[in-house]
Amino acid sequence: MEAALPLAIFVIIALAAFLLLSAKKFVDYSRWSKHARFDLYPVPKEGSKKNEYGGSYYEENEWWEKGRSTSAVTELLDIGQEMFFIRKLFIHQRGLWYFSFLFHFGLYFLFGWSVLLLIGGLIYPCPEWFAVIIGIVGYIGFIIATIGCCGLLLRRIFSKSARINMTPIEYFNLFFLLAVLVTGIISWLWFADPIVIAHEVFTLSLVNVPPIVIAHLIMLGILLIYIPMSRMGHYVGKFFAFHGMWDNDPNTAGSKVEQNVIEMGKRQPKDHWAAPHTQA
Amino acid sequence: MSAAQKHWKAKDIAKDVEVLSPPDDLSTLPEPYASNGLEPDYKAKKPEWAQRYCASLDGFVALDTLERPENEEAKKEFVERFLVGLEKLFSEVNANTVQPLMLTTDFCAKCNTCSDSCHIYLSSNGDELLRPSYRTDVLRRMYKKYFTPSGRYLGGLVGADVDVTWESIARLGELAYRCNLCRRCAQACPLGLDNGLVAKEIRKLFSQELGVAPTPVHDKGTMLQLKVGSTTGLTKAAFLDNLEFIEEDIYERTGRKIKFPVDKKGADMLVMHNAGEFIAWPDNPAAFAILLDEAGVDWTLSSDMMGYDSVNYGIWYDDVQARKVALGQFKVAKELGVRRIVVGECGHAHKAIAIAADRMTTAEDRVPVESFIPVMAEFVRQGKLKFDPSKNNFPVTFHDPCNIVRQMGIVMPEREILKACAPQFREMTPHGVHNFCCGGGSGIALMNSYNFSDYRNKVTARKKFEQIINAFGEDFTNPDVVKYVCAPCSNCKGTIRDILKFYSATSTYNVQYGGLVELMVNGLASMEKPYLEFLQD
Repeated sequence: MEAALPLAIFVIIALAAFLLLSAKKFVDYSRWSKHARFDLYPVPKEGSKKNEYGGSYYEENEWWEKGRSTSAVTELLDIGQEMFFIRKLFIHQRGLWYFSFLFHFGLYFLFGWSVLLLIGGLIYPCPEWFAVIIGIVGYIGFIIATIGCCGLLLRRIFSKSARINMTPIEYFNLFFLLAVLVTGIISWLWFADPIVIAHEVFTLSLVNVPPIVIAHLIMLGILLIYIPMSRMGHYVGKFFAFHGMWDNDPNTAGSKVEQNVIEMGKRQPKDHWAAPHTQA
Repeated sequence: MSAAQKHWKAKDIAKDVEVLSPPDDLSTLPEPYASNGLEPDYKAKKPEWAQRYCASLDGFVALDTLERPENEEAKKEFVERFLVGLEKLFSEVNANTVQPLMLTTDFCAKCNTCSDSCHIYLSSNGDELLRPSYRTDVLRRMYKKYFTPSGRYLGGLVGADVDVTWESIARLGELAYRCNLCRRCAQACPLGLDNGLVAKEIRKLFSQELGVAPTPVHDKGTMLQLKVGSTTGLTKAAFLDNLEFIEEDIYERTGRKIKFPVDKKGADMLVMHNAGEFIAWPDNPAAFAILLDEAGVDWTLSSDMMGYDSVNYGIWYDDVQARKVALGQFKVAKELGVRRIVVGECGHAHKAIAIAADRMTTAEDRVPVESFIPVMAEFVRQGKLKFDPSKNNFPVTFHDPCNIVRQMGIVMPEREILKACAPQFREMTPHGVHNFCCGGGSGIALMNSYNFSDYRNKVTARKKFEQIINAFGEDFTNPDVVKYVCAPCSNCKGTIRDILKFYSATSTYNVQYGGLVELMVNGLASMEKPYLEFLQD
């Protein structure tokens, strides 16, 4: 029991660290959100069906005199397709999409599974139907994430064009993920009930944990802390990246954009560029 | 070397070879060019170019102001200055751009989805050096090596393995000018990352920190514009002389007496042209004058030093220069008291003053900006411009300028105009926001030093030429059928002019080119004679 308690605490700390480090990353990028325009069309929020072919309000004669039509719905639909289905990859690189989609979709299932486990652990013993749902979500998540992860790894190993610019750390990331997935499958299929373990972790009553489960939980914890600090934290970046290209709001008098421009003008960077023409 | 052998790693940028990756295995052009032997070879390279500049990337020189240092001390000093600039690129001094730059360097998953969207990569048959994310990878690894703990302590394990030497820096600088900044790659990126922007940021580092930029873009570009008023060197006096000449020409060709309104206070619109039009294609500002006269518009040109050239090369390489030019142009419009600025046929001028400059100052110091395209489309809709489409009854295809279409979202009004005045209009594939760049974008159209024009004609513009051939289909090879490539942008038009000449497409197959307004004037019902020169007897 003495050995298991620190493990439970570590898992909880790792979960908290994942959320906090992700939030920190979000805040770090937010710091630079007042920036120049980088319009790139299609911009999904453009209304009047302009989003369908990539049009903008600049298509209107005297656009500033006309009401602008935007749609949060089309923007949400677009970002939803990117987040959940990785649409651009589907369109432009179908071969990679199959594995990437399975991997990411599997991770989404596992994220959902974790939330269900948290609930199931806290209301333990949970109703049987709820346990069945947890089981199904977990099975699907582990299976498709593992298939996707293996596919991505094999591609990185055997495809010359994919291999050429990979760094050792990028192989390590996928191997690490695979190790967590495989130990998870072994643990929950043959050695422990994830709902019981979740209950014991969240109530700090973890006892009698099989070695493979200990190994899985330690690796999972490290992974959760590592993800936001690595390139795997791109789930944070994707939000800013797409919104940077879609931020085409004009700088009109009294607008929020104008306020931002005024604030941007007050910046006093400590450095200056060195080329002589920049000093004049 | 075949493209299949060009699997360059990021660290190869520092490889000790005379020329890293010459563009000697290009994509095959469609027939008739696959077999007609009309594609010229590269001009012979001179050894002294490589002795004086960095020609070791691919044998071509874009950065004609970056001379090889004379000794090791000077090389070392250059490397140190570069590293100082590299750090600044990711700091507050670059706050307007640092977010998308960081996102791209932090999160690129190297899925290479961007590669197949890049016309230059495709034209090179897949040379890894020209993969849009390659230069990002090099920049990331250089930064990591010097400015991150993981790079300092783990080195190659985390990819911090690129040697930062004079040669690798110079090659990276050259590589930033093997990109048209068309941002088609960003459109395809599943993570929304912008490798085109990274190329521009590398150019910025070179210009704003090291004082290195191609002569046509900087010394004879923004610097000349800020000194005399135009990147063409056109002075106010010469500009006014040119207008007189164009007025006479309009009268001789059309019988219309049109006086260019100049510096008319309080006019509805200030029309700003790329000054290159006044010199290389005077038919274009003349066509504008004819259309605006026919539509009965209250408009003016400006003869102020910052008012008669709409260009702003700064947006390709230098934020400081871009700002100086844009604010100067707004000042002119404010002083004239015009209600709006209407940008003529210049793609990057559209983007510069409407998009890039939009957040440079408050609304108080600006006037609304719009493209000439929706303005003209509105005149067509209102019946102020009436066409006789039979006057334009020949195959016409349309090149979408990246800056107007992909980067500004003006897609349909030009098609509305074309459908009204050009009965044989046909699209290129792909088109609209998914178009391919002409190959001259971001200053590459202007860069002709040493052998660089060969690179443009054979590599960067190759995909566009392929699109033009395909758009005209069977008509392409018939010299009895005149064909018109419509490109409403000076730089695109210049690039297309050059490729049509380079591949002898005009002389052999009667492929002509021009802007949109010239085609509109030619199709005006009120015109008695053809306006397009190649239709005149």
